[in-house]
Amino acid sequence: MQVFGSKELLEDVINRDLCIGCGACVGRCPYFKSYKGKTAMLFECDLSEGRCFAHCPKVEVDLDSLSTTFFQKAYDGNPLGSYMEILGAKAGDKIAKAEFQNGGSVSALIALALETGLIDAAVLTDREGIIPTPRLVTNAQEVFECASSKYMAAPTLSALNNGIEQGFERMGVVATPCQATAVAKIRTNPVKRANFIDPVNLVIGLFCTWALDTRQMLSFLSDQPDMADDIRSADIRSMDIPPPPEEVMVIETGTKKTKIPLKEIRPMICESCQFCPDMTAEWSDISVGAFEGKPGWNTLVIRTKKGKNLVEEAVEKGYLQVEKIPEESIKHLAGAALNKKRNSFIKNVEKGLVNTGEKEGRSAIRLSDDVLKKITAQKENAV
Amino acid sequence: MTDVKTLSHDPYNLIITGVGGQGNVLASRVLGNMLSNKGFFVTIGETFGASQRGGSVMSHLRISKDKTCSPQIPRGKAHMVVALEPVETLRVLMEYGNPNVKALCNTRPIHPVGVITGANNYPDTRDLKSWIEELTESAWFIDATDMAVKLGNPIFGNIMMIGALASQNELPIDRKDFEAVILAAMGPEKTKINLMAYDKGMEMAG
Amino acid sequence: MTRLIEAEEGSRQLFMGNEAIARGALEAGMKVAAGYPGTPSSEIIENLAEVSEKAGIYVEWSANEKVAMEVAAAASFAGLRSLCVMKQNGVNVASDFLLHLAGSGTRAGMVLVPCDDPGALSSVNEGESRHFARLVEVPLLEPGDFQEAKDMVKWAFTLSEEIRNLVMVRSVTRLSHASGNVIMGNIAESKNLEAETKNSAFFKHDGFILDQMEGAVISAPVTYKHGQQHEKLKKAIEFFETSPFNTYTGPENPELLVITSSVCSLYTNEALQMLNAKDRVGLLKLGTTWPLPPKLVAKHLKMTDKILIVEEVIPFLEESVKTLAAELGPEIGVKTFFGKRDNTIPSTGELNPDIIASALSGILGIDMEPVPEAYTKRAGELAFLNAPVRDLTFCPGCPHRASFWSIKNALTMDNREGFICGDIGCYSLAMLPSGFSALKTLHSMGSGTGVASGFGKLGQFGLNQPVVSVCGDSTFFHSAMPALVNAVHHRSNLTMIILDNSGTGMTGFQPHPGLNEDALGKDAPAVDIEAVVRAAGANVTVCDPFDLAETRETVLKLLEDNNGVNVLILRQICALSPEKKGKKQFEMSVDENICVGENCGCNRLCTRIFSCPGLTWDREKKVSRIDEVICAGCGVCASICPLQAINKKEVA
Ligand SMILES: Cc1cc2nc3c(=O)[nH]c(=O)nc-3n(C[C@H](O)[C@H](O)[C@H](O)COP(=O)(O)OP(=O)(O)OC[C@H]3O[C@@H](n4cnc5c(N)ncnc54)[C@H](O)[C@@H]3O)c2cc1C
Ligand code: SF4
Ligand code: SF4
Repeated sequence: MQVFGSKELLEDVINRDLCIGCGACVGRCPYFKSYKGKTAMLFECDLSEGRCFAHCPKVEVDLDSLSTTFFQKAYDGNPLGSYMEILGAKAGDKIAKAEFQNGGSVSALIALALETGLIDAAVLTDREGIIPTPRLVTNAQEVFECASSKYMAAPTLSALNNGIEQGFERMGVVATPCQATAVAKIRTNPVKRANFIDPVNLVIGLFCTWALDTRQMLSFLSDQPDMADDIRSADIRSMDIPPPPEEVMVIETGTKKTKIPLKEIRPMICESCQFCPDMTAEWSDISVGAFEGKPGWNTLVIRTKKGKNLVEEAVEKGYLQVEKIPEESIKHLAGAALNKKRNSFIKNVEKGLVNTGEKEGRSAIRLSDDVLKKITAQKENAV
Repeated sequence: MTDVKTLSHDPYNLIITGVGGQGNVLASRVLGNMLSNKGFFVTIGETFGASQRGGSVMSHLRISKDKTCSPQIPRGKAHMVVALEPVETLRVLMEYGNPNVKALCNTRPIHPVGVITGANNYPDTRDLKSWIEELTESAWFIDATDMAVKLGNPIFGNIMMIGALASQNELPIDRKDFEAVILAAMGPEKTKINLMAYDKGMEMAG
Repeated sequence: MTRLIEAEEGSRQLFMGNEAIARGALEAGMKVAAGYPGTPSSEIIENLAEVSEKAGIYVEWSANEKVAMEVAAAASFAGLRSLCVMKQNGVNVASDFLLHLAGSGTRAGMVLVPCDDPGALSSVNEGESRHFARLVEVPLLEPGDFQEAKDMVKWAFTLSEEIRNLVMVRSVTRLSHASGNVIMGNIAESKNLEAETKNSAFFKHDGFILDQMEGAVISAPVTYKHGQQHEKLKKAIEFFETSPFNTYTGPENPELLVITSSVCSLYTNEALQMLNAKDRVGLLKLGTTWPLPPKLVAKHLKMTDKILIVEEVIPFLEESVKTLAAELGPEIGVKTFFGKRDNTIPSTGELNPDIIASALSGILGIDMEPVPEAYTKRAGELAFLNAPVRDLTFCPGCPHRASFWSIKNALTMDNREGFICGDIGCYSLAMLPSGFSALKTLHSMGSGTGVASGFGKLGQFGLNQPVVSVCGDSTFFHSAMPALVNAVHHRSNLTMIILDNSGTGMTGFQPHPGLNEDALGKDAPAVDIEAVVRAAGANVTVCDPFDLAETRETVLKLLEDNNGVNVLILRQICALSPEKKGKKQFEMSVDENICVGENCGCNRLCTRIFSCPGLTWDREKKVSRIDEVICAGCGVCASICPLQAINKKEVA
């Protein structure tokens, strides 16, 4: 993988509006700062190589190299990525009720990993009012405080960088697909530091088809007459997108639940999400999403031995409850994932972001031509 | 008024150069008044509009027996350059130097903001000295700022340079002239320390 | 320096041009002086303020130039000689009153001294005040050396009383800020020069309406007064025909006649000497440059057929002479003119003896005696390659560096392409990299907030970038106040940041209405900026710019509000202020064990970007280092370093 500096990052990502604001470049140097979901570069920096570029999930992502590192095989374009097993799950009896998004599996697994020492800290995403904020936590109580999804792109990984500065060496990260890609890049030590220690020991990925732009969402909600007060007092409890055919986003504040039609929400989707080929956070140990048709449950995609062990231990200790998932649901999930992959690669190719600049130039994504052809040639799935 | 001694050139063209905040203007006024009190016609041209903000500051002193001159010395016509900052000597010589010019330099560099940011380089002191020597008939170098810091305040560097200049017998000025001007301008209290600086300068160059 | 007033009659002093002007006014028995600071004019009022008590005069730094001229005019109306001083740009500000004043006329002598800055040595323009003399039709004098600076100002008062109108005496940087020998005249004698300048001031106003000395002072009936004004100019021309300030030196029938004025006459003299051409060229130095005395000019134009006009900036003299030459055509014949219009003299920038010598050598076909070519080449090479340029930058410890650091960071983080409308003062330097290139518009005094007020109304057309204006405390009173009021009244959406450093920093720390001190250093009621802003109806926040984090957060918060005008006062005294100068609040040091130098991901943020001159890069050790001679001890850089390698220790 080629590494460049912040000048190229600015050109390739930020100026093209491809930055998703993941925070991977925030906190390692004084130049990048995150504010209301956007990443800003404060001053120009002329270093020719930087971790900002090296860790960014939106530029020079070499899928073959990541796949070889984490799954010991070339990237094959499988819609759900590489996995061992797919299960239905929810938090077990040992877990007290909290404001979980779906089944609470994510919070339960992270809580366990902290307790057993599998990880020494966890990189999560809390909220301040409507704004998602990164948070580095070290105990179960704090994990539950961070439960529930914030449907906006979040600078979560600045908390990972913060954890590295603080000296944590076995962190767990709960990450959306783009964030998980950045974490994967970070773990490969792309800038080839001699004294490099992999700071991450567990990645729990979240399914994701898109995320919203924080600032747009903020001004949109502030303009809703019946929500302005709650937005001002920053009293947001949860956001949810109930399964089709409802086509709404439900926002729960201290005083009420408000339904907003998805067609009003969609224009606020980050531009960058259209170029993201990953729906299930393929570069993780376990990926978690909703269990379609079964409210209060999660779908778990177990990808690694480490992930499998953790799930088994969680079940054993009463932290997690699992059940088999119907083949039909998996096919449905894979169909949705394929659509996202196919559509985004077509867009990426159109924009000249795939396999460009063999020698001196830069590319957003690299993968073998055969696999690229295979993905883009597929038909759109009816899901 | 004391009688007018002879000048080696008429007008005698002297440039005091430095950086904002080094006391350039004070030095030119003091020197100018010392000579004016002796009966010479003195014209001083100054560029100090942006003096406090890191820019180069330059005073042109024209000394004549009988006339007011232009406040700008013509190109290549300087007889003496007194530099409170070494690199400024080069800059002045480029415009006003000639093979017979002399120079008196403080060796303490003040880095321009471009050097601080790393965009430019500041030359090595040894190279700088050799170039100045190459471009002048004779050149003297003294560590005026360092000595001034020892005296208690770097700002006395300018007065030391006046002392050093007096020691070279280039101009008809002496310690008495200096004392009279400082006394008139600053009062007895400050005169003592300034005289000390002046003497130190004479000593260092002598 | 009290020698301004104590120097004895007949003694010869080394005076700065501005001191000479001040002395001239004192010798004329001037009683009231007012001005607004602006390089290169400021020392005139400063010097007068210093001797005001001894001289029994009133001196003030007014809120702006227009007010200064009004204050001075009142004195003239009440029978006291008055002086009004400003930088060229100030005349633009005062020009509305100036036009009406020229129409109403003055009583006791009143002189306006504008100081122009050809070459913009310390300005953001090459503006010209000479235009105004022609525009409002008052006489213009231009001193050619230091003695004349004094004598001309003194005579200008007499002339003003002869014609009962304002007289302009224009100086330039190279005269105001240069020094030369001046022989003193008498101060005491001038004290009871005329009945009007007696100590008792009285404003007569109930006389006949058309009586300028006793009736109301107004410019109406307009055509009558305008006609009267033209009569006054005719009278001035009479004086000019025989004025000793117009001199000719040279042969009776020169090959070339040079007509020049101001400091250019010294340059021309020097150039003629350099070329050894004094016996071939005649030099007509004019001190009375508008309106030109036609007989005098005709006499000299007749001497030869070739005429070179030497002046700085606009071809003002050139046009006047050419107009006369056209009128005098039948009498003097056809002439060949050299000057700015044919590019013999450069049309921009200041002049010097070399430029004029080269113009002359071209016309006369004389070779200039050059410095040996080898020397010039070598010196040029060495300096070009090795003398790093000295770009202007904020002083060590300057609050503006800290302010712009935070404002710029907030705007960048805010990420909506917000921008700053700049204004005039030290902080104008923020247009340069050392001010993080933060300013995106920069025009005249007070215009930052005025322009911002306009931007802030463009929301209805889709402009959704945050709008910020900055202005200094002195600029606030000078002309930003009306802009603020305008913005508040029209609910313009902007953040106005007042960089309050407690003085007029740029020009040498003169007081302004916001301080509890006047030009004389005496107690004065301070007008509270915060209260003024509040009374105007804007929200106010006050912050210490040295607290970088808080300032940034505050600006971010204000940018978020899109409901009218928010004002942020960033208050921290100027590093050069008398209170602070030479006193360090902190002893600074860099811990070499913590600073990892070039290996740090910060890429030398402290020196490469923040770039306070007090902090330098040690090229050998490859770490940053405090230069204790330059560092002002403000302590700000300690909060720049991400590794906290810069330490600050409170000085006891
Ligand atoms: C932007 C976004 C889009 C999603 N889209 C889909 C989808 O299309 N289909 C689907 O099945 N599932 C989607 N999910 C995942 C789903 O909402 C739940 O997060 C997942 O099912 C886990 O539920 P849980 O009850 O176990 O989570 P909880 O136990 O409640 O824990 C939620 C965890 O998510 C983390 N988190 C919250 N918001 C963010 C964020 N913005 N960025 C990173 N981490 C965050 C928190 O740190 C917390 O640990 C999305 C999640 C996000 C954040
Ligand atoms: S690393 Fe993340 S925040 Fe930084 S530029 Fe890339 S996508 Fe944006
Ligand atoms: S403390 Fe730091 S910022 Fe302040 S003057 Fe010294 S070097 Fe400059």
